[in-house]
Amino acid sequence: MQKELTDIELINLVLAGNQSAYANLVKRHQRYAFTLALRFTKSREDAEEIAQDGFVKAYKSLSAFQQQSKFTTWLYSIVYTTAMTFLRKKQLKTDSMNDDAVFTQVNLLASDLKPDSTEQKSRLYYVNLAIGQLLPDDATIITLFYQGEQSLEEIAQVIGMETNTVKVKLHRARHRLKEKLEGLLKQEVRELL
Amino acid sequence: MNEIEEHLWNYIDGFCTEDERKTIETLIENNANYRNKYAELKAFEANMPALDLEEPSMGFTFKVMENIRAEHARVPLKTRINTSIVRAIGAFFICTILVLLGFVFVNVDWSAPSPVHLPEIKIPPVTNYLNPVVIKGFLFFDVVLGMFFLDYYFRKFFIRQK
Repeated sequence: MQKELTDIELINLVLAGNQSAYANLVKRHQRYAFTLALRFTKSREDAEEIAQDGFVKAYKSLSAFQQQSKFTTWLYSIVYTTAMTFLRKKQLKTDSMNDDAVFTQVNLLASDLKPDSTEQKSRLYYVNLAIGQLLPDDATIITLFYQGEQSLEEIAQVIGMETNTVKVKLHRARHRLKEKLEGLLKQEVRELL
Repeated sequence: MNEIEEHLWNYIDGFCTEDERKTIETLIENNANYRNKYAELKAFEANMPALDLEEPSMGFTFKVMENIRAEHARVPLKTRINTSIVRAIGAFFICTILVLLGFVFVNVDWSAPSPVHLPEIKIPPVTNYLNPVVIKGFLFFDVVLGMFFLDYYFRKFFIRQK
């Protein structure tokens, strides 16, 4: 069986002129980049645009990648910056979830996605929903830590903060996520009763 | 977030020192608050790695590669020219010119056998052509040219104002 090339090997191939090797890198990391972008915008189209833009920017500055950190850490920092720029340009609303209007929006979203099957009713569905209700920064840290498998130092590098700040933010983000989750589950129990 | 929760998260994530770890382990064993909270956080933590990643559309990779190809095609010609080749060609021509000049200077006979006689050039007298009609025509042409440029300037100025 052919050995799967590492990220660094693929990058070296791309730098040697093999453009199609980059497609393998994109395929490998597209879900992570897309999920991260989706933490900033609720629209899948916008998230795709951000993630694609991130990959194109990464390709253009691939020769500047020092290979001192993981490729994913570097890629996520590009996607994060692209998403922030996108938000600034679009002036998307990133209000606190305490805002009534946003609550209404989330409730509408929740009712749109009313689970039909048992699988959808699983706890994971509610965890995903609760992450969607967090502020972009909290959702990003949670995503990078649990889904992107990034260490605190790497997350700090991605979002340009001190490691200790990220640690505190991670604790707070988890706390808020737990609260949101409990709220959603209580609501679900009330509906069932 | 309370202090117990923060301690426990540090313990779960492995961010605490050996001493802190032992202290928290003892607290989990002996303190009901710690024990319950720990169980709660572990249950919460258990869900996290199983979280699904979102899937982009089928053509995601294709679109990225298309964008890259489009970007590559859009790169201006001057940024794609290898400057070292241009410099090498330039250096070759400069060297050739210098060698030729050197060769010429070395082989030139600087001693003049006889005094140099400049050729006599007969220029027709200009005053014959500068009659009043020519001068008026020349001035008229200058005025027309001046008005043309003034018009051009004002047009640009007013467009910029708008």
